Amino acid sequence: MTLNEYHFNFEKALINLISMRLVSILKWDNKYLSNNNIDEYSLKKELLSYWYTMNCTPIIPYLKMKSTIKLIVLTFAFFAISCSSDDDGASNKDAVSTIKIKWDNIVGQKDMNIVEKQNLEYGYKTADNQDFNITAFGYYITNIILEGPNGERFEDEVSISAADAKGVYHIKEGDFASAATILQNVPVGKYNKITFTVGIPEEGVKEGAAGGVLDPAAGAWFWNWNAGYIGFAIEGHASTSSQAHNEIDGFVIPEKSFAIHIGGWRDITPLEGETPKFVNNIKTITLNFDSDVTVAESQEPSIHLLANAKALFDTSSVDFSTTYSVHAPILGKQFADVLDQVFSYSHVHQ
Amino acid sequence: MNIHSNYAYLVSIYWICLLFISCSNDGGNDEVLDTDTYELIQPEGFPEIKYTTQNNPITQKGFELGRKLFFDPRLSADGSISCNNCHQQSRGFADSPVHPMSIGINSQAGNRNAPPLFNMAFRKEFFWDGGVTHLDFVPINALESDIEMGETMKNVVEKLNRNDEYRQLFKEAFDVDSITSPRILQAFSQYMLLMISNDSKYDQYQRQENNVTFTESEQKGMLLFDEKCSSCHSGSLFTDQSFRNNGISDTFSDNGRALITESNSDIGKFRVPTLRNIEVTGPYMHNANFDTLEEVLQHYANGVKNSETLDAMLKTENNQLGIALTESEQADIIAFLKTLTDETFLTDPKFNNPI
Repeated sequence: MTLNEYHFNFEKALINLISMRLVSILKWDNKYLSNNNIDEYSLKKELLSYWYTMNCTPIIPYLKMKSTIKLIVLTFAFFAISCSSDDDGASNKDAVSTIKIKWDNIVGQKDMNIVEKQNLEYGYKTADNQDFNITAFGYYITNIILEGPNGERFEDEVSISAADAKGVYHIKEGDFASAATILQNVPVGKYNKITFTVGIPEEGVKEGAAGGVLDPAAGAWFWNWNAGYIGFAIEGHASTSSQAHNEIDGFVIPEKSFAIHIGGWRDITPLEGETPKFVNNIKTITLNFDSDVTVAESQEPSIHLLANAKALFDTSSVDFSTTYSVHAPILGKQFADVLDQVFSYSHVHQ
Repeated sequence: MNIHSNYAYLVSIYWICLLFISCSNDGGNDEVLDTDTYELIQPEGFPEIKYTTQNNPITQKGFELGRKLFFDPRLSADGSISCNNCHQQSRGFADSPVHPMSIGINSQAGNRNAPPLFNMAFRKEFFWDGGVTHLDFVPINALESDIEMGETMKNVVEKLNRNDEYRQLFKEAFDVDSITSPRILQAFSQYMLLMISNDSKYDQYQRQENNVTFTESEQKGMLLFDEKCSSCHSGSLFTDQSFRNNGISDTFSDNGRALITESNSDIGKFRVPTLRNIEVTGPYMHNANFDTLEEVLQHYANGVKNSETLDAMLKTENNQLGIALTESEQADIIAFLKTLTDETFLTDPKFNNPI
């Protein structure tokens, strides 16, 4: 073996060690690697190119270095990257604080009031004078991102597993605890907009059986036949509803009731000449604040957002005489498409 | 080799050792799993594993728990029906021919023929209409169907939590103090994931094991199959996992795939089934239309009915329907199909009733 070959081999061994280390970190992270279906070699290649671009001295000067120095550089770089994974991302010098998102559900100008099933007193009207009331109202929110005018950015971590559904919030009118979402570890600074997803997108469904607010035995809104989650739901009665009284094994669908369940997450572009299939009703919404919200160590602001049920009906021009039972993606599209007008920013308590 | 570079190597090695010591505390979960025979191994020639094994690594405890649940009728509303009622190992985990549409609680008949269960790890969609895209979510449909097991997931969780033995078993399998629905579903998946059928006569012939030879008829059948059937029943799973209308009817009370895609172009389409173990999984088709393989082959030869969504493969250029097959060709194809029966899997004690 010549000296150069020896260097080369040693370098290869080091690179190998680094990638192994990264692979094991990722495995431990339990995110990117399944035990079986990732080609370790191509992963290593990718990791290395990442490592070169992100972590190390620029590649050209590096290549020009003497082999001895190369090794030392490599070793130090290795040290830098293998230990950086111990941090949580937020480095100590950046202070963090807490933001509260308050979900205020309303109907036009009025507070939302939930009534019992089979109650035919109507408290609300659509724009074309159809009387209605509400027996159930709620939605899933996930992938919350806060952004500020000076590049501030906070992404709420989403992690869906059998143990929990972190970063997924199930807001249900009448369930007081669900009305506020508390975001911790938000870097201090100014924020002027929020982005969030209504419904559980493909990434969430593909994780398989999930716990927390996605556990179907613990009140999750789950569709079993077309497996996925109902992202947004409203139920109630309407003076114009054509729903007849119906009893199925003790489950009562009352006369004049309506149930609108918005679901459907598959996003498959049809092949050429093929009619469109599947409807993706998952919506991502961005709302601007009217002024900058300051997050400081001593300031934990509450941002109030509105979900307006009347806007859902008025903007989608609902007619309860024909639309009173929505339990599949295509029928839900009419409503999913106006969700950006259902949610709005209200105010902030600094 | 000069002294300097030698020294450098030593320094480097020193650093590396230091690193592994300094960082070893973050690798606590890296221990090698003692999976023994409970590892999901990618069979040669099979499509890649679709299941999210990183979320639910298979262990002996988890597998055995799933197996116990599979055979436990207490999971149904009236304690009468277990998964095994309609999914029997000797039938490739399909139902017995005396129950073509299966029987649920209160002696109610089902809507579709119970599909066999094996090679689930490699599938991207489940059920005749492909409505479910993750194996974990599959059992919910049977558990919650009014005409199958008639339960709610909530009730199933409560029932199991009242049972000391189950609480202990879930503790051992998943290190949880109380039983939740995702853990139940993961246990089911662990049991089903290991149901791999790849040891039929055909497989042994392909692998040139045990001096297996094909008869003349099987040999001819294989060539005919390649030519006439394998465009849909393709690959090592003997299905391209697509949804097609194979002309068993020209009217459809069950819309099939269109229930999921909500597209008229999918009315009357159903999943192309695997043909592994087809000899023991009759009756055939989603509505149990045919009792025997002979009837199935006759259908393709001269029974195909035309409709708007009939598969293009079943229409020839001069508007002939079906697949041209003589009677002796049909017999040869059936002889070949019977080489797909996997006795090893059908009798594997690992999947038997544990009680």
